[in-house]
Amino acid sequence: MHTPPASEIPAQLIALFAALMLVAQLLLAVQRMLLTSIRLFAIQSLFLAGIAGVVAYSHNAFHVYVVVVLTLIGKVMFLPWLLDRQVRKMKIVQEIEPLVNFPTSMLVCGGLTLLGYLVARPFTSLERLGNNTLAVAITLVLTGFFLMINRRKAITQVLALLTIENGVMLAAVALTTYGMPLVVELGIFFDVLVAVMILGILVYRIRETFESMDISKLSQLKG
Amino acid sequence: MEPLPLTLLFLTLLGYLAGVVASMACLRAGKTANLCACCIAALAAVSGVAASVTGLLSGAAGPHDSVQILPALLPYVHFSIRPDPLGLFFTLIVSLIGLAVAVYSLGYNRQFLGKKNLGVFGAFFNSALLATTLVFLADNAFFFLIAWEIMAMSAYFLVSFEHEKEESRNAGVLFFVMSHIGTGCLILGFLLLFKASGGYEFDGFHAIGATMAAGPRNAAFILFLVGFGVKAGVIPVHIWLPVAHPAAPSNVSALMSGVLIKTGIYGLTRVFFDFMGAPPNWWGVTVLTLGIVSAVLGVLYALMEHDLKRLLAYHSIENIGIILTGLGTALMFLHSGHPLLASLALVAGLYHTINHAVFKALLFLGAGVVVHATHTRNMEEMGGLVKRMPRTALCFLIAAVAISALPPLNGFVSEWLTYQSLLQGFGTTQSLIRLMFPFGGAMLALTGALAAACFVKAYGITFLAQPRSECAARAEEAGWQEIAGQVLLTLACVVLGLFPAQFVRLLDPVTLQLAGHALSSQLSLADGLVLAGATPSGGTVSTLGLSLMALCLVPVPLALWWMFSRGTSVRRGPTWDCGLQGLTPRMEYTATGFSKPIRMIFKALFRPRREVQREYDFSPYFARNLRFESHVEEVFQTRIYRPLNWLVWRASRRMRALQAGSLQAYLIYIFATLLLLLVFAL
Repeated sequence: MHTPPASEIPAQLIALFAALMLVAQLLLAVQRMLLTSIRLFAIQSLFLAGIAGVVAYSHNAFHVYVVVVLTLIGKVMFLPWLLDRQVRKMKIVQEIEPLVNFPTSMLVCGGLTLLGYLVARPFTSLERLGNNTLAVAITLVLTGFFLMINRRKAITQVLALLTIENGVMLAAVALTTYGMPLVVELGIFFDVLVAVMILGILVYRIRETFESMDISKLSQLKG
Repeated sequence: MEPLPLTLLFLTLLGYLAGVVASMACLRAGKTANLCACCIAALAAVSGVAASVTGLLSGAAGPHDSVQILPALLPYVHFSIRPDPLGLFFTLIVSLIGLAVAVYSLGYNRQFLGKKNLGVFGAFFNSALLATTLVFLADNAFFFLIAWEIMAMSAYFLVSFEHEKEESRNAGVLFFVMSHIGTGCLILGFLLLFKASGGYEFDGFHAIGATMAAGPRNAAFILFLVGFGVKAGVIPVHIWLPVAHPAAPSNVSALMSGVLIKTGIYGLTRVFFDFMGAPPNWWGVTVLTLGIVSAVLGVLYALMEHDLKRLLAYHSIENIGIILTGLGTALMFLHSGHPLLASLALVAGLYHTINHAVFKALLFLGAGVVVHATHTRNMEEMGGLVKRMPRTALCFLIAAVAISALPPLNGFVSEWLTYQSLLQGFGTTQSLIRLMFPFGGAMLALTGALAAACFVKAYGITFLAQPRSECAARAEEAGWQEIAGQVLLTLACVVLGLFPAQFVRLLDPVTLQLAGHALSSQLSLADGLVLAGATPSGGTVSTLGLSLMALCLVPVPLALWWMFSRGTSVRRGPTWDCGLQGLTPRMEYTATGFSKPIRMIFKALFRPRREVQREYDFSPYFARNLRFESHVEEVFQTRIYRPLNWLVWRASRRMRALQAGSLQAYLIYIFATLLLLLVFAL
């Protein structure tokens, strides 16, 4: 086994973290316990922060450090804490049976990963970081979407939305030379923050009104 | 641009901003909020007037640089303003009207104290002024659209300020919908211009039309015509105007009618004369036709109204039509290669723009006082107000004379200029299209006559004779703030009417910028005492001379009366009542009766429907009760908008099948689309 040259170490690190993000996503897809799901999301965000940190360090890009800090504070600590509190407050431990059962979900996620890699292939030459980071990003978005469709609890849907957002962030770091303009990143970040806070309140209200967090009950609202 | 006007402009913008902040700061203290908002807005408006007047007087020539007022955040989006003459001229309008309305609101808003949140009103009032000023100054399409939308939103909130009334809510929604249809067209139009110029700077759009292919160019023309036409209230996209103006509080109506709809005129002028250049003939013909149709139909519908504020709203449509007549004529002259005449028509249109802003705002302010005093907008329940509120009645009378285009006031001057340009148009081309000019002039004359009839009705029924209701009999004159606001605009009416030759100097840089000629030296004769028609074949008129002559003639009848009345005694008696038991309000001429002949003449258009129900005991000639109802069909609502509305509803009912109401289903739609697109991309 040969040791990679020093210039490749960041790239290898990024590939490792990206792979770990994907693993966290797949685990999330088959996780029934809400609290564990939240923790998985926090771990995934931690890896994202890691990737951003490596990029910032190796390119000496100051504003990417800002992204690192925001990710650490927001997605690794604040949002999981918020959701955690919500779940504890509502005393709900488990997700009910999803639309597609867990083994099948795993298979679907595998298929989506394959699709992600296929879609990303033409762009590998554009990719600054190499190592299929873009493919992972696309896969995160796709599986996140699937997760949103598959699950019924509002909290899991929020988590799925957040993983989609992680995928978008990863793509931004992977594809563009200096990351996206800081404004855009800040914009996305605050969007997500606000969205989650509103969703948190809504989830609570849904529960208050329908005695359940099952969003399929919402169809009763249709006139 | 000289530094002084620029500094003043910044002061104006900051002032309005401060007004927003101050009103928000005292949301809970209505009285303070109103005081802050109105005073700050008035000060900012004064600074705006000063900035635009000094800017227009000094900035006749030379390039006008754009100034960044906020750092750019995204590519293409620059928050830059460029105070060029056209923008400054419209800034003058918004500042002048803003000043008068702010002063008026100081008093007028007291009726809302304790009932409504005046801090909210102040904030939206200031933000509307701020956004409108920015619309006139913006130098970037994105910035323009942002300001445009802030303006529309502020106006929406102001219209539905009295949201406890269903009428106001509905009016707000209609305004909102129409305004967004317009904005959609504008966005598409700007995208077309972007494709041609590769940027969103207005500087880069200058004369871009010449480089565009005919297709996109004409598409852009139509999109902008619809987009700005909605805001201006051009028929047939006017329907929001007679609904929104009456529903809003009257100071807001004044602001909307005086300033807001002028943003549409500003946009049209900017696009046609600054961006497009060298127009094809059908553009001018289209604009001129729309102008004539709006003018005639606007005034005809106004005549049928008994709601004082709706009547004024329809008159706004009429006057927008007159302004468009000027603009359309200018476009036709540009096409046929007569820049001098184009400048004249442009002067006529722009002059009428500021005139209409002044007298229409004044009329709405007057109507506000009247409506507040009588608690009704129905003219049939007013009457006799001239004795109860003489000052308002005088201001209203002057505005009514001005809007009826009677000399020596300002409406006369601008309509006279419009006639001049129309009459001189006949000789500019040999094609049959030249018949448009005399036809336009004839229609304009008809409009003027009908407008005069309409204001005889509006003034006579509202202010003269005996009060027709208890409320009208107990009406009280407004406070000094309301009167001050009205007097300000009355003075503007008189000054704009008596000194046109001096005022057109302000328009010099504008026409120089847009049509290549400065006209003030050709327009004024005898040291500015006489207004001339710019070309040797044009006519001349002197409003100042006319009024001086009238003043000189006043002593003659007085002297005659004095000579012949010596030795006779004066006896005062009651009005001759044909031997009845005194005159009562029931015998008065009604608004419906007054407009009846015109309703009959234009029967084909109005399709009047009336219903008479008699209740009698033994003979129909001795009815116990008589119920009379008369309606006029609103052709555009019933023939165009109702079927359109129905189509939209039917289409959306079909779409409902997609709306399962389940979140998962929606997500699957999106996901499936995403996957399909990705697979196709492979």
